Amino acid sequence: MHPSKNRWLVIPLASLFVATALPHFAIAAEPALAIDAESTDDQFFEQQVAPLLVMHCLECHQEKTPSGGLSLATQNGLLRGGDSGASIDEDDPKDSSLLARIHDGEMPPIKQGRSQKLDDDVIATFEAWLLRGAPWPENRRLELYERTSAVRAGRNWWSLTKITRPSLPADYANNDSSAPAINAIDAFIGAKLRSENMKSAPRAEKALLLRRAYYDVIGLPPNDQQVAAFLADDSPDAWEKVVDDLLQTPQYGQRWARHWLDVVRFAETSGYERDQEKAFAWKYRDWVIQSLNEDKPYDRFVLEQLAGDELPERNEQTVIATGMLRLGTWNDEPNDPEDYVYDRLEDLVHVTSTAFLGMTVKCARCHDHKFDPIYQEDYYRMAGAFWAGPIAARDREWLGGPNESELGIANVLGWTDITNQPSPLRLLKNGERDQAQQEVAPGTLSMITDLSRDFAPVDSNVKTTQRRLRLAEWIIDPANPLTARVIVNRLWLHYFGQGLVRTPNNFGFTGEQPTHPELLDWLATELMDNSWRLKPLHKLMLMSETYCQSTLNSEAEQYNLVDAGNRFWWRAERRRLDAEALRDTLLFASGELDQQLGGPSFRETVSPEALEGLSQKSAAWTASPESEQHRRSIYMFTKRGLLSPMMTAFDLCDVTQPCGQRDITTVAPQALVMLNNPFIHQRGLHLAEQILSEHGEWKDRIEALWLRVYARSPRADEVQLAVRYLQTQLPVFAQSDFAQSDVEGQAAQPEALCFASLCVGLFNSNEFFYVD
Amino acid sequence: MTSKKYYPCGQSRREFVWQMGGGFAGVALASLLAQDGFRSQQASGDDSSEKSPEAAINPTSPKSPHFAPRAKACIFLMMNGAPSQVDTFDYKPELEKYSGKSLPEDKKFINSGGRQMGYLTPAWRPFRPGGESGLLVSDYFPEVRKHADKLCVLNSCHTDSHAHGSALVAMNTGKTLIGRPSLGSWCVYGLGSENESLPGYVVMLDKRGGPIGGQPNWSSGFMPATYSGTLFRPSGDPILDLRGPAHITRDMQRTQLDLIAQLNQRHLAERQIFNQAGGQDLASRINSYELAFRMQSSAPDAVDLSQESQETLEMYGVGKDPTDEYGRNCLIARRLIERGVRYIQLYSGGGHLEETWDAHESIEKNHGRHSAEVDQPIAALLADLEQRGMLDETLVIWGGEFGRMPFSEGQGAPGRNHNPYGFSMWLAGAGVRGGMNYGATDEFGFEAVQDKVHLHDLHATILHMMGLDHELLTYFHQGRDESLTDVGGRVIEAILG
Repeated sequence: MHPSKNRWLVIPLASLFVATALPHFAIAAEPALAIDAESTDDQFFEQQVAPLLVMHCLECHQEKTPSGGLSLATQNGLLRGGDSGASIDEDDPKDSSLLARIHDGEMPPIKQGRSQKLDDDVIATFEAWLLRGAPWPENRRLELYERTSAVRAGRNWWSLTKITRPSLPADYANNDSSAPAINAIDAFIGAKLRSENMKSAPRAEKALLLRRAYYDVIGLPPNDQQVAAFLADDSPDAWEKVVDDLLQTPQYGQRWARHWLDVVRFAETSGYERDQEKAFAWKYRDWVIQSLNEDKPYDRFVLEQLAGDELPERNEQTVIATGMLRLGTWNDEPNDPEDYVYDRLEDLVHVTSTAFLGMTVKCARCHDHKFDPIYQEDYYRMAGAFWAGPIAARDREWLGGPNESELGIANVLGWTDITNQPSPLRLLKNGERDQAQQEVAPGTLSMITDLSRDFAPVDSNVKTTQRRLRLAEWIIDPANPLTARVIVNRLWLHYFGQGLVRTPNNFGFTGEQPTHPELLDWLATELMDNSWRLKPLHKLMLMSETYCQSTLNSEAEQYNLVDAGNRFWWRAERRRLDAEALRDTLLFASGELDQQLGGPSFRETVSPEALEGLSQKSAAWTASPESEQHRRSIYMFTKRGLLSPMMTAFDLCDVTQPCGQRDITTVAPQALVMLNNPFIHQRGLHLAEQILSEHGEWKDRIEALWLRVYARSPRADEVQLAVRYLQTQLPVFAQSDFAQSDVEGQAAQPEALCFASLCVGLFNSNEFFYVD
Repeated sequence: MTSKKYYPCGQSRREFVWQMGGGFAGVALASLLAQDGFRSQQASGDDSSEKSPEAAINPTSPKSPHFAPRAKACIFLMMNGAPSQVDTFDYKPELEKYSGKSLPEDKKFINSGGRQMGYLTPAWRPFRPGGESGLLVSDYFPEVRKHADKLCVLNSCHTDSHAHGSALVAMNTGKTLIGRPSLGSWCVYGLGSENESLPGYVVMLDKRGGPIGGQPNWSSGFMPATYSGTLFRPSGDPILDLRGPAHITRDMQRTQLDLIAQLNQRHLAERQIFNQAGGQDLASRINSYELAFRMQSSAPDAVDLSQESQETLEMYGVGKDPTDEYGRNCLIARRLIERGVRYIQLYSGGGHLEETWDAHESIEKNHGRHSAEVDQPIAALLADLEQRGMLDETLVIWGGEFGRMPFSEGQGAPGRNHNPYGFSMWLAGAGVRGGMNYGATDEFGFEAVQDKVHLHDLHATILHMMGLDHELLTYFHQGRDESLTDVGGRVIEAILG
């Protein structure tokens, strides 16, 4: 060793000698310790320097492949220096190149054209450290993700910490046991509101509340008799009966399956040039509906989708569940088939980690995750679970999946490994195949402390690698802090309009933090304590006063000033119908909705204009018979190259990547659809003809219309409005030229067409479009 | 109580503007702003904290660029199917010498589709110098050649796929995988639109069909659908659902709209009892109906070519075979630019194979046919934009999703196979240096070797000309600041005038 280096070492060694007498370093992480000139070198390092090194330097200057050859993870690395020489100058610490580069803003380097120069006080700390002789506690090894900093999450990030069941807020916990039990949701929400001096809104009007619950649970409105019955029911358990009944209907599964299908990028074609149909994808959709309706425990729901083919009790249904892994886009003609294997891996890692864990693991494909504690190696560990699957280019007829004999079951869309002894998977530097690095053993992510494990190899007589099974077991391990939190947040989102975590697919550093962390954890433990059954949680949410409150709060003016985003839940969120609820309700109101469960999807009629976007034009699209087109929207065939124009207008999500929450836009083209699209006019005409044939008097007809569309009687002024409308329009319609009309039922009378235009008017109203 | 001047929805002017429904591509509600993409950022170079509520609420209201733009609008002339560079804009005299020989063995490539490999073949039509610059353009584009001094030909383009489906989507979205926002979406996201009653991003397809892959080519990907391209037809009703059933006249619809407005007013009033902002979403929707009603006349007006002079129509080749279709589209593109539309893509070629520029069978037959359809219209567009003083602010881009091989598809087979390794595109307008070639392919015209232009570089340059920094124009999605050029892209400074 260079003699001067020896001299340099004298100072830190002296201080380390003192440090060894100190208790464990963990105490140094306690922020309570005051830092002053008398703090020991070790304390100084732990409290002042280590956080800075981890935050600003370690992303590049880590141990394995240190940038510029300089590792700042260990004292050795620091002393060794980098390719351009020593990083510290022991004779004149202030002259160290490390300091010089920090000073002139060279380090940390410019990012996206912006200087990352450190603040003066940060530089001063580095200076002070060097002046002390750059002390470094013995054997201390810094690690990129050891702690959360201002720029990235460490393994102590909130969502990665163990879930413990929080106690109920104090003033609720000592609630008199003779009083009615308080819903735990209200306890947590109420406590926070009171601490902010806020009050929740009063309970919503019964009719509005009923409509809200119907849409939330089954995606359809109540009819007028259901509203009337609920209004007339004064029994204390009237609401509970509604909730129980709704959760027992098969429509519950139809509604909630749609939310799940968004999360797993459901579509029924491959995308790209040929956009081949993936036959039997609909069986997966039906499996989701069925699983929800029978309240399959969520851990089982996860397990079957990831490894239904690997279960000892495997059957046709569990194999159909693995269709989830088949739903992604698939290009039969990628530029380089060998590169494309890694794109397919990314899709599988991405959908799995997003849907179940709410983490953006895919970001670690090319480098360590910039924001979350996921090493690049972690990405490949997890990807190893899918490495034995049919991801390489094979017979195009198989559309990127296993063939029938590999799967062992005919006429299903499923997944399985095609070997139990796959070649080793290598980490790719920068994600590039020609830069293959070390072999990576398949296993779980390391971000959850104490839960990480390798996937053990299987015996040669086992058909698959069972890696997906191991991955699923890790995901549904009750000690995994993400799984339960992520799914209860999804439930909350669809009942309350926003999640407790407002980025449902991102529980990492760049996502939002929970507005009510204790409530989130309480719900998560409640789910697991209920054997992962979801329906009790649905009921708990529906039964809460927080859910039942009005969208209007008399203190809104003031509350908006402090919490315009309604993060404290001081009112219910008014919501616009989504594309499916809108289309289903139109068919419901016109009396045409076909509520048949399950089976192959129907193809809607698409106007020739909209078909122009297809390279094969009309040849690629044949609409189903009209009689099948009145089914609920979840049964609508989803073609990636031709998404339904009407559904897309109302914010149907992109179907290539997982979507946790749809956009809600209000744009003029939506008004054009509602005013002009033939589908709307056909529903209006159908409703008009029914009402006209059933009622002879205009007054009764108007009454009937309001009942059908709004499930309530019209008020006097509304009757007047409708009468005036009809008086104005009837003579005009009588003179109109129908020869060109393209609405079905050419024989329709002017009277019916005029009344239909009134129906369409109501379909266009905000009362129809929004749920209070 | 203070006296306020009240506007249509019973609100003050400020509140009214804030709650305005509309913008063709519309208004995102506060809930949208709270989501991923809008959570902590705005697309433009403005300091978002200083944004007015108006700008913050309407995602397509005009936004400030990052720096002074060279172009306010962009027209992408998409030669779907991939024209051959050595037959159009990349003159390779050496091919005469090597004619009939094979491409040297050390040139590595993927033989797309496993087709027959033939022999090096010189250009099927001669090249001639054009303009004062003497820029070489082949006889497939004699009219465009007259504008040679406006053209900046990029001879060194290369892309990431040899297959139409993924290469088209790459040319449009930057990646070969579907699901990402297209170039036009990025432009509208970054700059907004100047006209609220027309879409900011318009796509006009070839009547023979859409591009391979369809919708993902003009999708907004993970951004709100607000930013996606709108398919526009060149006559009658240019967009979907612009007209209802024939028996409902405009007056009858007006009566219907008044009914809807009255139903909505009462509904709104009941929901504003405690605070005006309580009905913001509802008011937005009410306003969107008035805009929709106006669009029913403004959109057809944009494609009403009867307003154009006979001279103009003739210049574009409207009413004549085979230029009518593309001529109309080019002329409509100019009319849309005049109306403030930001990004327009005009497809030449649609469907598959010979219906597009995909000249596997015969360069002469295929390119002869397609160039005859577009040469005059494109020249007319350049001339028209120039004479109206619009060319300085409009960027025109010409090119396909890749190029073609310098060799044939077999002995005596006059077609050429796909080539992503080297191809030509050109830019014009918006202060681009004209009359120049940038970059070069090897002596065979096979692969880009000098000043290579990857499609990310092209995209970075296009955004730059629109006043957007490709590294700063990001959209937060799934934990990552996504951008059009991802980690790549470099602005080609040398071609900026």
